[in-house]
Amino acid sequence: MLSSCVNLKSVGDFSAASITGIINFERINYSFSQHCLDRCEDEAVGKYDLKRARECSCALYIEADSVTQVIYNSIEGYFEGLGQLSQNELTTYNSDAVIRALTAEEFGPVRIDEQTATAFMSLSNTLLRASTDFYRRKKLAKYIERANEPIQVLLTKFEQIVGSNLTGELKFKRERMYAHHMDMKMNRTLTSDYEKGKATSEYYKGLKAIQRKDMELKIFAQSLTQIAEGHQLLFLNRTKLSVKDLQGMLQSYSGNVNHLMSQFNKLNN
Amino acid sequence: MANLNSVQAQQLSANFFYLGMAIGDFRYENWDRLSLEDNKELSDTQNSIIRTGEDILAFSSTLVMDELEESLTQISTITEEIKRTMKTLGNIQKGLNIAAALLILGVAISNRDTKGISASIKEVRETWKAPLVRSNYTF
Repeated sequence: MLSSCVNLKSVGDFSAASITGIINFERINYSFSQHCLDRCEDEAVGKYDLKRARECSCALYIEADSVTQVIYNSIEGYFEGLGQLSQNELTTYNSDAVIRALTAEEFGPVRIDEQTATAFMSLSNTLLRASTDFYRRKKLAKYIERANEPIQVLLTKFEQIVGSNLTGELKFKRERMYAHHMDMKMNRTLTSDYEKGKATSEYYKGLKAIQRKDMELKIFAQSLTQIAEGHQLLFLNRTKLSVKDLQGMLQSYSGNVNHLMSQFNKLNN
Repeated sequence: MANLNSVQAQQLSANFFYLGMAIGDFRYENWDRLSLEDNKELSDTQNSIIRTGEDILAFSSTLVMDELEESLTQISTITEEIKRTMKTLGNIQKGLNIAAALLILGVAISNRDTKGISASIKEVRETWKAPLVRSNYTF
């Protein structure tokens, strides 16, 4: 049966790992707008241009950020829903009220003792749980099936924006910094050994910061690829894998995302 | 002419990047041969090419929006449906609570306990009005 092959825990764990990976986007601390402001400042420094307030025209960059934010919110919202729907807590029902009602003294001559009431409710809950879990599996299989194509598109584009466009902006930043320092060198602007050493050290410090940010963006982009592959696996095997197989295979994607996140965290600390 | 797509814009930006880099290398290699004016003009061109390349990359990201309209709508619809499904599951708990309240009302009626009946009706009404137990899920 289609729905019975979807393992709730596997889906829950994979969704949790995906969310952990995706929300790291908020910790990247680099955006198109930030790039535009940095550029504006670099240019002002290059021209020795002092103004009372920064005058930067960044409308295009702000728009690029809002597009990225919309994509991020949609992906995050979907995995959040998928994770919550697969959580067992969702179908753990509290039957205290019914037990209290069954054992109420107002029953008159017929008395139901608490032990019997609890046993009766436990049986009812098991049946209820089984039917609601069946319902959840059926629904999850349907959602995964319908969401796979659009989520693949969204993850690919998100990966493209972060892994190519934002890292591409960093390449331009690096080139501008190189040109600035090379011009100083060729113009013989700096004369003392101390000034030259300081400028060189500043250049390499700047380069290191760019490389670090570039690495961070690339690791994040890789995690998006892993999430997309994991969802594809879930989609492809929604009808034929045994519960155990699916769990094992999804664990490897969740593990990859977690491993990438640990690399990401190291760069961020 | 057909509109650019996001990937074409990326490629175009890469061309601007390499062009900017090539102009810079040319300036440094021929520094002493170039007049101050020529060097300044080339430097301005280099800056302008780098700027344009950066703008095209940001523009490429905005173009993505046009390419994603359908996928965004689909995912948003599915996410809404998931929320509704969770609400349904939350309703089961509410159903259990209402069933318990009705059971007590039934007992009160069979015992012809007028005070109990009125208290039970109030209880049923309050349980019915109570928010869903799992309505605190947020997206």
